[in-house]
Amino acid sequence: MSNKSLLRLLQAPSIILLLLWMLIPLGMTLYFSFIRYVLNNLRKPEWTTPSISNWRGLGNYEYVLYKSKDFWFAVQNSLLIVGSIIILTVIFGLAISILINRTFPGRGIVRVLLISPFFVMPSVNAVLWINMILDPVLGLNGLAIEGLNQILKDLQDLPLLGRFFSLWPVFEPISFRATQTSSYAVIIMVTWQWTPFAVLIFMTSLQSEDQQQIEAAILDGANAWSRFINLTIPHLARPISIVIMIQAIFHLSLYAEIEIVSRGNGNKNLPYLIGEFSSNNIGAASATGVFAVILANIVAIFLLRIVGKSLME
Amino acid sequence: MAKLKIKNLKKSYENEQIIHGVNLEIKDGEFVVFVGPSGCGKSTLLRLIAGLEEITEGEISIGDKVVNEIAPSKRGVAMVFQNYALYPHMNVYKNMSFALRQARMNKDEINRRVKNAAEILQISDFLLKTPRSLSGGQRQRVAIGRAIVREPDVFLFDEPLSNLDAALRVNTRLEIARLHKRLGTTMIYVTHDQVEAMTLADKIVVLNNGKIEQIGSPIELYENPLNMFVAGFIGSPKMNFLNSKTLTKNISTIVKGAKREDIIGIRPEHLLKTTYTKSIISARLDLIENLGENVLVHMILNNDDQIIAKMNTAPKEPIGTKLHFTANIKNLHLFNKK
Repeated sequence: MSNKSLLRLLQAPSIILLLLWMLIPLGMTLYFSFIRYVLNNLRKPEWTTPSISNWRGLGNYEYVLYKSKDFWFAVQNSLLIVGSIIILTVIFGLAISILINRTFPGRGIVRVLLISPFFVMPSVNAVLWINMILDPVLGLNGLAIEGLNQILKDLQDLPLLGRFFSLWPVFEPISFRATQTSSYAVIIMVTWQWTPFAVLIFMTSLQSEDQQQIEAAILDGANAWSRFINLTIPHLARPISIVIMIQAIFHLSLYAEIEIVSRGNGNKNLPYLIGEFSSNNIGAASATGVFAVILANIVAIFLLRIVGKSLME
Repeated sequence: MAKLKIKNLKKSYENEQIIHGVNLEIKDGEFVVFVGPSGCGKSTLLRLIAGLEEITEGEISIGDKVVNEIAPSKRGVAMVFQNYALYPHMNVYKNMSFALRQARMNKDEINRRVKNAAEILQISDFLLKTPRSLSGGQRQRVAIGRAIVREPDVFLFDEPLSNLDAALRVNTRLEIARLHKRLGTTMIYVTHDQVEAMTLADKIVVLNNGKIEQIGSPIELYENPLNMFVAGFIGSPKMNFLNSKTLTKNISTIVKGAKREDIIGIRPEHLLKTTYTKSIISARLDLIENLGENVLVHMILNNDDQIIAKMNTAPKEPIGTKLHFTANIKNLHLFNKK
């Protein structure tokens, strides 16, 4: 037996286990997506057990694509949520990490506090945000608007300027549980939770930035903005791509926040749609799952194209 | 081109004073080397001139302008850093043109200056490469090129050769000397290596603990060191210091007017082997290092101090024998013990 085949043989168990780990669920999903399989149907009880005799071909896919109104909306929403969160966390992450990358009293405490949102459970995070901050009546949102309206009212009672302020409209609190705004609520709360992740990664690599390069740039007459664009951003190219990649993977499968904010009303992503289908129609849920895998792959290919270069260097 | 004047310069960090009142004048076109042991403040002094550190007290003027409050980039200085500090993601051309682009100079002028500097430094072939793909010596040239294109009044070098290997160091040293001849610009060069200082400088400034110990031409410092620190720092191997107890003759008969507590310094190359009766010191032979062109003879005095003699041929005597030395009176240096 040659050395190479011995090596393969020794590696085989773990590789086979990994393959089974991936292939069995994928295979079952594909199988279910081609048959009629529902959890509860009084008229056709034979559909409640998975069997090849209930073959439906591409019927489930057709149903998901053309008959259910939410599919394209969910795809679009998935991309909106992932894209917005990535852009916002990278911007905030850069700003905050640069801000705390200098020595000041209490830096250690500030850093710990900054990281802490990352350790909050997603569902707790969602409950806190939607009820205590974004709620249009009881939350900070409602209270702030109420306060503003009170100030406006006081201003309208002023003797001379009152007439000018009376032209102003009364402010309305934003309801984050209504249709499209519920996705904004999800974006806000996840951005809050994941910015620390970006800060953490950017902070560590900012510390490895070469100080002499910065001094050379100062002597070369580069101002702070120019140094940021020409030195810091290229230095952070790799960490930025890591943050983007990891977040894209995590946020394509957001669920808890969407459930808690609006139970999917006006705001669904693909995982949530799968969840809705799987309350009864396993076949359609599996077909959506296959689409979700395809979408994730498309996103991954795009990301690899864009950010892969800086990772490979 | 410009002269540079430093008046009573002081620098402290929080409660620690690094530079204790330095006064220095550098003439237009002079090559000045700051030399001293690590921690003596030579790099800090350079950074103060560059504007990378804030001045605590005193005044620096370049040309006729006081530059204390002027931004580093407006002082007319360009600096070459120890680790080159090239911008890693820019190619050589962009590295060299960065300062000019920041100043929004027109493209033709930038191109002319970069091409010109690249030609002087023989790096025209690498203009489109990134620093990562260059060798240490090439990176060093790019760093120097980046300084040249700015056409500064004063060049500042912060230990530019310390990251190069020995052979390359000698080469680059020569190139810097040639560059100075060609450009004729004022240059200030920081090093802890006294060979670099001796070979490059028009004027050496020896620093110790944030104070200037002596300023002078290399040969002045070698022949007439003001104190034991300068005497010990300049010259290799180090000067031998002998007190009256280790001398075989009375110190006042060797150097007229010398007191008992004074110290005599003799450079290793000035010790001459002689007989006991003519000698001024005797020491036990300990070790011989043969360098080919000359021989370093290490010896131990009767108080266990070590001395070194640089000789043309190795002594024939076995290890442990007492050897006797004298020296020409003009090569003896007398120091007062502080």
